[in-house]
Amino acid sequence: MARAPLQNKSAPTAILIFIIYLVILASSSELIARTAWVEEISPYHSVGNNHYQFEFKWFRLQDYVKQNGGVDVIILGSSLVNTGIDPDMMREAFYKQTGVQLRIFNFGVEGLTAAPNSITAGILVERYHPALLIYVTEMREFVAGTGLDYETRFLADPWLRYELGDFNLPGWAVDHSAALQHYLPFRNWMRADFLETFPLYLKRYRDTTASGYELDRLIGVDIDATPDRNNPDDAKNFAAYQNYQIDPGRLGNLKSILDLRNRGETTILVVEMPVHPTFYAFVGGETVHLQFQQTLKALVEASSGVFLPAESCDDIPLEGRSNRWHLNYLGAPIFSECLGQQLSILADQQNTSFVNVNLAGSK
Amino acid sequence: MNITSLAFVIFFVVAILVYRFLPSPYRTGWLFAVSICFLLTWSWNLAAILLVVATVNFTLGRWLGVAENKRKFLLWTGIGFNVLVLVALKYNGFYISTLTSLLERMGVQTGAGGLKLLLPVGLSFITIQMISYLVDIHNRILEPELHWLDLALYVVYFPKLLSGPVERARTLLPKFKHPSPINGPEIEQNAWLIVVGLVRKLILANTLLSIIPAEIFLHPEEYVGQDLALYLLAYAFVIYNDFAGYTSIVRGLSGFFGIELTNNFKLPYFARTFAEFWERWHASLSQWLKDYIFFPVSRALAKKVPNREHFVHLLVPPIVTMLVSGMWHGLGWNFLVWGGLHGLYLFFERLGMGRGPRRVPAEWSKRRQVFSATVVFGLAVLAWIPFRMDLVTGWHFLVRMLSPQAWMLPQLWLVRAAIYGSTDVASWRQFAFPDLRVLLMLIPALWLDGNQYRRKSETFFVDWPAWTKGLFLAIVVLALMLLSFAETSAPFVYQGF
Repeated sequence: MARAPLQNKSAPTAILIFIIYLVILASSSELIARTAWVEEISPYHSVGNNHYQFEFKWFRLQDYVKQNGGVDVIILGSSLVNTGIDPDMMREAFYKQTGVQLRIFNFGVEGLTAAPNSITAGILVERYHPALLIYVTEMREFVAGTGLDYETRFLADPWLRYELGDFNLPGWAVDHSAALQHYLPFRNWMRADFLETFPLYLKRYRDTTASGYELDRLIGVDIDATPDRNNPDDAKNFAAYQNYQIDPGRLGNLKSILDLRNRGETTILVVEMPVHPTFYAFVGGETVHLQFQQTLKALVEASSGVFLPAESCDDIPLEGRSNRWHLNYLGAPIFSECLGQQLSILADQQNTSFVNVNLAGSK
Repeated sequence: MNITSLAFVIFFVVAILVYRFLPSPYRTGWLFAVSICFLLTWSWNLAAILLVVATVNFTLGRWLGVAENKRKFLLWTGIGFNVLVLVALKYNGFYISTLTSLLERMGVQTGAGGLKLLLPVGLSFITIQMISYLVDIHNRILEPELHWLDLALYVVYFPKLLSGPVERARTLLPKFKHPSPINGPEIEQNAWLIVVGLVRKLILANTLLSIIPAEIFLHPEEYVGQDLALYLLAYAFVIYNDFAGYTSIVRGLSGFFGIELTNNFKLPYFARTFAEFWERWHASLSQWLKDYIFFPVSRALAKKVPNREHFVHLLVPPIVTMLVSGMWHGLGWNFLVWGGLHGLYLFFERLGMGRGPRRVPAEWSKRRQVFSATVVFGLAVLAWIPFRMDLVTGWHFLVRMLSPQAWMLPQLWLVRAAIYGSTDVASWRQFAFPDLRVLLMLIPALWLDGNQYRRKSETFFVDWPAWTKGLFLAIVVLALMLLSFAETSAPFVYQGF
């Protein structure tokens, strides 16, 4: 097989035409992607972030704000928030006590600790100016190394870096292109595991409500059993959390969330998740837990925030938990209702309704 | 530095710009310098090892050139040295653990994880090039190189360093003597070679490779028969497009320096005989094996069995040659079986051709050509099984793939249930549909091969009108951009050899 005979009449023209075609192809895909028809057949969006649940929440929140004209309360945290707090139940409870309809969104994302959440919190407050930001946490989050791999991958995302002001071309393109945002949910179409992961993606997308809550159907077993060092699962937890110490870096992340109060009119409420009391055996007992609460309370109050300890809403039945930390479809409504009531008390104390007086923010 | 990385693009552009503006006498030196820089991005040890290899072969070559006596001894010393370096560094798995424990028993610390030796990239390719250099001098086909720099450049020349082509000293060294930059039409030719290579490597091979589940080569029993067949077919296209793409890229790169490298892949899956297959598949290695294994074995055999029509002449040379080829790819039983299979294919083909005047495949009827090409393709694909898997797994793979019970009809009822939401789909594999993504990727692969075959040109794009070229490039760039968002990356499959 030979090379083609040499001729070079058309090379420069071809390059020019190539650029014109590139522009035409890119702009026509952009136009098509912005039509209602595309939105209807493929409602999925992505910014290419490696955490697909973060993306669900990101775009769900955009839709929520579009439909409701804004958002008053954003609840931020890990999977504990995702499956543990139903904003609609919370709204109902708050409404019953105060007669005010709050617009509440659950931005809980699996595996994300205070480090990535402090960044997310900054972006969300900047964009949507909520009247209240609730950060839900628990002891494990303050151990150095917890969720580190998630954190590293999450923070390496070009789009996120772009959002944070670090200009880069892929980040800019993803942020501005509807065509790319429609393509990116399918970006791993050539991966061998796509046939397993994408049905799961679709299912979880479907299962996440408009206010960001995902229902967990699992009912945990042996949650109230005393942890046993000979049990392999328990042994892992002992190894991870015994000699419990609060990581100053993580406290610094929480502090930066609390400092968001200074940027605008957002109140910061830090809620401790009511994990099952048997968990405290892993960290060294109730005394260690109390020390943790005191540290957190001191930090939150020093930053003019409000701290709600686990005892405030810990009346969760055993069958309402899917494991020692997570609530399920039975536990989440109880906790959400309690949280709504606690919010109404706080509103009363602070003489506010937590209704966002700003318009739905945009960048 | 990977040759499809942005860093390499910048490196190459700088190299070519300086090369163009340098006076002619300095160009060889510049090529050597950039090749060393390229090597240093992998490791300085590699550069050191390869320069030692070049120096030893340069010296032996000079001695061979002037020696009247002991020429055989010098030749075998050289061959021994090159093979020893290869075995010591590439096939160290065979002795490294024994050596580690021996050293540690003697009180020598080998570090955590035991002794580790460095494998210089492309060493297998360099070894056989050095052997052919010495053999050619010995046979007085080639004059020994008098300039160390030229021979060192022959060893480290960066476009061919990683995975060939296997260039003969007698063809490549003269090109280093008068390097000259190219102009106008040749630039476009070489640019298209690079584009074709990128399409083959980044769009076709990488994508197909990531579609294939890695477990299929470990646990074939977990897959239905049609999946095994389809993914094996996909693997055949992966390995071809990966290596052909790589070769195309490096030929294009080298072409920019005015140094043409051998075309390694001439549409091998269109071959109508196995002899033709090996002229088209990794042609530079095949030619080397022919010249330095097949013919010498045939000649040695002819001394013992003068009758060239004898059975052993049909059997022994191809089997020995292909076994060596298998061992060159890796020291493992599976590679030997792969080589042995191809040796047997060649033997039966030679046996079937019979005596008397032979017609070349191009003179056959169209029907016979299509039939033969299909058989050759099918058998070549089957031979990839031992190439890719250990023998036991490969056997299970083959048996299951050929077993009718392992084939399963698409589960349409499950699709219906999933659509109506009465069941949650854990994996789309449950549907037992053929993986359409493989078929989707085979369309552009076959289109590219088909056009190259029909137009008898690997850069047929050059003949296209400007608007078609522009559109094709725009599609390629967009495809590369979209693929770049996937969370995947695959190394060159052949880089391990």
